Amino acid sequence: MSELPAVVASRAVADGGRRRRERLPGEPRRIGYLYIAPAFLLFAAFNLVPLVQGINVSLYNWDGISPATWVGFANYGEFFTSPDIRSGYLHVLILMIFYSFLPIIIGLFLAAVMSRIRIRGLTFFRMLLFLPLVITDVVTAVAWIWIYDATGPLSTTLKAVGLGHFVPSAGWLGDFNTALPAVGVFGMWGQFGFCLILFLAGVMKIPATLYEAARVDGANAVREFFAVTLPGLRYELQVVLVLTVIGTLGTFDEIYVLTAGGPGTSTTVPAYLVWRRAFQTGQVGSAAALGIILMLIIFAVTYGINRLMERGAET
Amino acid sequence: MNAVSSIAGPRFRRALALLALLALVGAACTPGGKTAQVSVPPPPAATGVPDTGPITLTIWDQESGPVGKVWDQLNSEFEAKYTNVTIKRVNRDFGELKTLLKLAISGPHPPDVVEANQGWPDMGQLVKAGLLLPLDNYAKAYGWNERVPATVLAVSSWTPDGKQFGTGNLFGYTSMGEIIGVYYNKQKLSDLGLTIPTTFDEFEQDLAAAKQQGEVPIMFGNNDAFPGIHEYAVIQDQMAPVSTLTDLIFGLQGSTLSFDTPANVQAATTLQEWSQKGYFTPGFGGGGYDTAVANFAKGQGLFMITGNWIVANLGADNRKYGFFLMPPVKAGDPPVSTGGAGFPLAISAGSEHADAAAAYIDWMNSDHASELLVQAGEIPLHTGASSSIVPGTVLADVVNAATAVSEANGVVPYEDWATPTFYDSLTAAIQELMGMRITPQQFVSNVQKDYSDFQKSRA
Amino acid sequence: MTTNSRAQITLNYALIIACSLIAIYPLVGVVLASLYPSGTSSSPSGFALPPTFAWHNYVAAWDQGKFAASFTTSIIVAAVMVPASVVLSVVAGYAFATMHFRGSKVIFYLFILGLIIPTEATIVPLFYDVRALHLLDTYWALILLEVSGELAFGVFWMRAAFLSAPPSLLEAARIDGASSWQTMRKVMVPFARPAILTLAVLTFADSWNEFFLALVFTVSHTTAPAGLASFSGRYTTNIPLVSAGAVIVAVPILIVFIIFQREFMRGMLTGAVKG
Repeated sequence: MSELPAVVASRAVADGGRRRRERLPGEPRRIGYLYIAPAFLLFAAFNLVPLVQGINVSLYNWDGISPATWVGFANYGEFFTSPDIRSGYLHVLILMIFYSFLPIIIGLFLAAVMSRIRIRGLTFFRMLLFLPLVITDVVTAVAWIWIYDATGPLSTTLKAVGLGHFVPSAGWLGDFNTALPAVGVFGMWGQFGFCLILFLAGVMKIPATLYEAARVDGANAVREFFAVTLPGLRYELQVVLVLTVIGTLGTFDEIYVLTAGGPGTSTTVPAYLVWRRAFQTGQVGSAAALGIILMLIIFAVTYGINRLMERGAET
Repeated sequence: MNAVSSIAGPRFRRALALLALLALVGAACTPGGKTAQVSVPPPPAATGVPDTGPITLTIWDQESGPVGKVWDQLNSEFEAKYTNVTIKRVNRDFGELKTLLKLAISGPHPPDVVEANQGWPDMGQLVKAGLLLPLDNYAKAYGWNERVPATVLAVSSWTPDGKQFGTGNLFGYTSMGEIIGVYYNKQKLSDLGLTIPTTFDEFEQDLAAAKQQGEVPIMFGNNDAFPGIHEYAVIQDQMAPVSTLTDLIFGLQGSTLSFDTPANVQAATTLQEWSQKGYFTPGFGGGGYDTAVANFAKGQGLFMITGNWIVANLGADNRKYGFFLMPPVKAGDPPVSTGGAGFPLAISAGSEHADAAAAYIDWMNSDHASELLVQAGEIPLHTGASSSIVPGTVLADVVNAATAVSEANGVVPYEDWATPTFYDSLTAAIQELMGMRITPQQFVSNVQKDYSDFQKSRA
Repeated sequence: MTTNSRAQITLNYALIIACSLIAIYPLVGVVLASLYPSGTSSSPSGFALPPTFAWHNYVAAWDQGKFAASFTTSIIVAAVMVPASVVLSVVAGYAFATMHFRGSKVIFYLFILGLIIPTEATIVPLFYDVRALHLLDTYWALILLEVSGELAFGVFWMRAAFLSAPPSLLEAARIDGASSWQTMRKVMVPFARPAILTLAVLTFADSWNEFFLALVFTVSHTTAPAGLASFSGRYTTNIPLVSAGAVIVAVPILIVFIIFQREFMRGMLTGAVKG
């Protein structure tokens, strides 16, 4: 699912969920089926039906063209035995630090440091900060290919300040050690503006009385952050965490454009493996299984984060 | 509660259960169904395009640069020759074509003629799925069998079930060839006081000498991953017997052959040593292949190990560059190198204009086409090849080398043909080998795993 | 309350300006790079103005990247898919918000499920389904898949928007004897106009930026981002030319973003601010 609506969606449901308590004006009406039928049929035909078919395909050894042979859960077993898949998930875990953890930390830190003053021209700054998210990865990746080039601005700047020995001769995306972090920094750049804006807005709506109370209790800035700001941002945190983690697990576009999984296999990720197996190397059953596993992991992670945050809210 | 937190809810679980139930029902049907084997179409009543009203031929190819321009010219000439024909050319690069071809050709309106790479990953899968037309009767009608050596036809031949490679029906045809070898900058070679090596040892000495004098010994950029295959192949060709390599690639002896051999380890060790000693362009891992070719043409680097196709970039009549085959370990041994037939043209099984498509394939391999393609750097493999090659040019060197290796039966097919996933496994493993991430032994083990997995799946 | 000291205010502005600069640096850089002389050896290494402005790169990129074709696809697909997906979402969202019928909750939760099913889990069978429908490499493949992909979100968004309508609105309509369809058309849709506009803008952005579906399902009818990916794959080393292509692809979405900035922000932040 694409980034923009997903962000909104969780909020939209949140609103919907809250208002469910209100009495709805409608009474039972069969005509409702007619209203939802077009949307649901189209949605089901291209989302739910293929999901079911995908589960089926994942139980076969199939090259996509000749008749398939039933292999049960063997394709799922690969998850535990194949070094390719293992390293794909390892890479995505590392990317999570950049796509999720660091933008949240940076966003929280800035939101805490910046005081709760109306910033003049915030609309303008917000627009600039949103640009990395609005423009598609395929375009922004071109910018970063240039930045990461062996003769690009990053290398040139480092050389100019005497740190030339850090510059990989193959460029940042061509070197085994730097390619994955380089992809990570690209993703971090795409996320941090959104986190910052969301947290800034969240801080604004924390009642001033809470801060006053903390101050009366003699809390210093750090205590104030953990006692007031962080709990006040719990909801924003949950949304950002879920969205960035799901987003990272589905990383594909930037890998396709920036590194194609290389050098070697140093930047392969699960979604890229699904695509390659399904459409390049004719391992269709295995690709389907990988896709289903990815979905289950996304379910589990989402569920886990929610439980964690809700428990945090209760204590 | 938000969208995501509701995932724990009971209604969500009910929705999931519903899906699971559907999955059970769905699991009853096997994907894939039956594949119909394509039968050999009858011999055409006459050669040439039948004059049965307007015909649109859709052609998919991956030719770019000068060869691409020749194709444009040949296409318009074909349209002029047969006025009822319109050609629709779809041109993609090698990597994209690898992916898109299988998709397009299995669709409802497949292209008529496709340029398909030989081997298990590409042509093999298409044949197995019954998506290509056996060309045997066209070959007879047009005399392709007499025009090119049997080895050229063999690499496009498969049993109709797609289970055996190198034998059976003919599924693709080309009369143009490829050869991998070493280009050298003549001026630099003499400036460095070196001569064309006659043994593998001498070649390594040249590399060391060039490196010592501050020259980039081998121009190389491996960001695109495929060039690494060629660097490894020319070394391997000198260390392992031709027949072993050929049998391995064709998969003729199933799992009795292995990639994990002392010769392959030795070749990997050599390649890694070259990389370690700085014989390749610094930062080659991030460098593009096209950049490397462009820089070599501009005078950078002493050698460049690649195929005949860059002749067009250097200029066919260029006399500043020469070309030789990677020399054998023992002086005087017959030459061995990777290459052979170029990309063959094939007809999709779903084409409605197979006869016209066959006429097109014949046209693209005619003497006239060959004449133009040779000037763009392709090597003619057919009888009565043109004599327009000027001695002393880089093109002449390349054509002579190709002839020599072909006469010595020393042509080794491309290794990435060996299994459907071999291209990916081999390119990734070579990048890791040259980046010092794995040892030569790990390299052959990784590649062998791919090979044995595939042979097991065939058995 | 925090003290509004001058130092604190300065710090605030310094930080937000610094962050904004980081956000736009690569984008400004790519615009500058696109104006450097085209070629393999002239890639700009810093953040400096090009020696001469090579506007011709844009013409060259437009031609060589075949952007006329990919723009046509993107425009046709967006022109059909945005209205289709918005209308279907409005109608279904309206029913979910105002009517009760058996199974409505389960169906609604199936839509929720759609929000987190990754495309990777369905892409394999989808490919064979689309092929079976003889829709490979057609506009319809992209239109149908994009619409169905947006519906999960659209239905949520519209349901929430309609739920936020004051109950008096609906009751007034019912007293007037309006049918459910009339109520939607005459009362609810005007009420939810801002939400609908936001949905349309976000949907357009998604459609314009679509890459993965185009990569899998189209060959000759590819979208602008997929066209760019193919173009940049071919000319990796010609940074000015590829940069020009990137700018070309970004321009339409930038224009929409600037015009409908408010809708974008509302879409992405509404919940957080209200929550």
